[in-house]
Amino acid sequence: MRKLLEIALGVLTAIGGFVDIGDLVASTETGARFGLGLAWVVVVGVLGIIVYAEMAGRVASVSGRAVFDLVRERLGAGVGLLNLAASFFITLLTLAAEIGGVALSLQLATSVNYLLFVPIVGLLVWLVCWRVRFELMDNAVGLLGLALIVVAVAVWRAHPDWGAMLHSATHPVVPGTESHAAYWYFAIALLGSAMTPYEVFFFSSGAVEQRWTRSDLLVNRLNVYIGFPLGGLLALALMVAAALVLEPRGIDPSHLSQAALPTSLVLGKLGLALALLGFFACTSGAALETALSCGYSIAQYFGWPWGKLIKPARAPRFQLIVLVSIALGAGLVLTTLDPIKLTEYAIVLSAAALPLTYLPLLIVANDPAYLGDKVNSRLSNAIASAYLVVLVVASVATVPLMVVSKAGGG
Amino acid sequence: MAQRLDAALELLDRQLVDKDGQLAGKVDDLELTDPGDNPDPPDVTAILTGPAALAGRLHTPVGRWLAKAAARLLAPGHQQPSRVPLDQVEAVGASIQLKVAAGQLDAGAGEARARRLIGGIPGAGDAAQ
Amino acid sequence: MNQRHHRHAWVRQRSRLAQAVGLGLVALIATAGCTGPVRSDGVYASKAAATAEAAASAVETAQLAVQEAAAGELFGRSLAQTLAEAASDAGDAQATFDAIQPPDRRSKVLRGQLDRLLTPAASVLADLRIAARWGDTAALPRLAAPLPKLAEEFQRFEEACR
Repeated sequence: MRKLLEIALGVLTAIGGFVDIGDLVASTETGARFGLGLAWVVVVGVLGIIVYAEMAGRVASVSGRAVFDLVRERLGAGVGLLNLAASFFITLLTLAAEIGGVALSLQLATSVNYLLFVPIVGLLVWLVCWRVRFELMDNAVGLLGLALIVVAVAVWRAHPDWGAMLHSATHPVVPGTESHAAYWYFAIALLGSAMTPYEVFFFSSGAVEQRWTRSDLLVNRLNVYIGFPLGGLLALALMVAAALVLEPRGIDPSHLSQAALPTSLVLGKLGLALALLGFFACTSGAALETALSCGYSIAQYFGWPWGKLIKPARAPRFQLIVLVSIALGAGLVLTTLDPIKLTEYAIVLSAAALPLTYLPLLIVANDPAYLGDKVNSRLSNAIASAYLVVLVVASVATVPLMVVSKAGGG
Repeated sequence: MAQRLDAALELLDRQLVDKDGQLAGKVDDLELTDPGDNPDPPDVTAILTGPAALAGRLHTPVGRWLAKAAARLLAPGHQQPSRVPLDQVEAVGASIQLKVAAGQLDAGAGEARARRLIGGIPGAGDAAQ
Repeated sequence: MNQRHHRHAWVRQRSRLAQAVGLGLVALIATAGCTGPVRSDGVYASKAAATAEAAASAVETAQLAVQEAAAGELFGRSLAQTLAEAASDAGDAQATFDAIQPPDRRSKVLRGQLDRLLTPAASVLADLRIAARWGDTAALPRLAAPLPKLAEEFQRFEEACR
């Protein structure tokens, strides 16, 4: 019974924690500009993160070691450092974007300037990472993130033409007002928002800290195979909501307020309140995860003590890195750089760096020295390798597309 | 310990673990005796650890720059690699087991400095729930 | 030993190339979002169209927000925030567009036409923002009355430009 509750909690927090500011921004913007023409990318992205997150969890459970730790050992210090530098930079950027997202959610609820919230948000994120009952907070925001289900409910209650929607999703067309370059640029952005690298580090580090073993493999798979698709469905709901309400009106969302309009249109104040709660929760959860991931990546590479469950005095460099990362992230938001633009850059650069993150993981997951008989099956290797090809293509195409489409603006 | 090892495979980039089971860095580089005209492979006299040690080993300029930057940021004032003499090594396996506690290592200075920085913040000594 | 030496040299060469490519990429990314000077009227027309699109988006956002507020579907604070953002979007679009020098007479005419839409739109949105901040929800539908026509005109302008 207790095990069942644990599994349920894991799955529910996986669903509620799936969406972050990147998914919010990417899904809403692509829905408003391309209708359902990019819905297929969400499906592709979710499948990709499922395959790689399961791999990361399995590696952690069987070898007892986290991704960055093994990447360096298996692939050498040079490659590991390159991987680390890219991953850390992007995770830091994402952390800044998430902090911005939390501040924006609070601004939308209170009409108080988001910049005023940033230092408070930074401080609270740090406090939770420092010692304030991390597990409790992480589960709490994960469950609160389930409030985003209201967006799916709003879509359903809007009684859209499901047949027409399915048709436009399966027969994507670039709208006349948009360029093909912009279409593919946003496809890459959407992919980057779904397959966020920090997700993998956080997942595997958490698994190691909680001392998952082979017997936890099933729980790991359930979280990933059930939680992630349902979470992805929430991201899709955001896209559909934008496609139904914003696209016909020609509204190009560049603010969080516009992302909430579809839900309040259908479900009124209650819908709006839940949507705001959902926005707040998912960005807070992601802020916590990215902050810790900043620490995990560096500490694991250099072999220093790390962990959110041990006392800070026993992992001081790890905690120091987390603190400095949060300060840098908050600082970046305080430069008054538009948090939405910041988010867009974070997800696009994430997409560009995905091969660097996932290729080492794929290599490690195939090494019997670490995984014994639990190395990748031929099926997961086939799928994972196919994804790697897609990711490399996307990565190479990112900068040219960014230039040609003027970062999606043109 | 007169063992013959493939150093690149079995020593480099391995995790150092102290006598209490705490993580104590990685084998970032090795201190070797000068083989001179001796056809035998050189002996390892010490393990070198820390970002400064890493910088010495990486051959790509980007990697070296990154490691040097890391050294300056994360272990300031410790521009020289930290040395773990071989007599402090207990066993070589999946990880390198040490005979001493991390705090006693020369390499432990970085952790100690960080601990001084954040140790003053309330809650540093309590485990998170 | 020799092999390692060769590999080192190759790695050094490759990494120098990688550094150069990396720097080039950074430069490209940094300038990706920039708008350059306008030399032809075709480019100016497309910038005018983009401005009209952005202004239309702000106008439609405000319209939707007012509609929802009238139906009691929005909180006062969120409404105020949404309208403030719409107003600043319209203002930014106009400011950015007006800062561009029209390259010829035809473009000057175009600019005049667009400004004749942008200025009243910005004014209406500013009024809405102020009313919302004062909590004067009842006045919003009346203040927003010119918006549908403005939205239509922006649409027509955009189509004419493309």
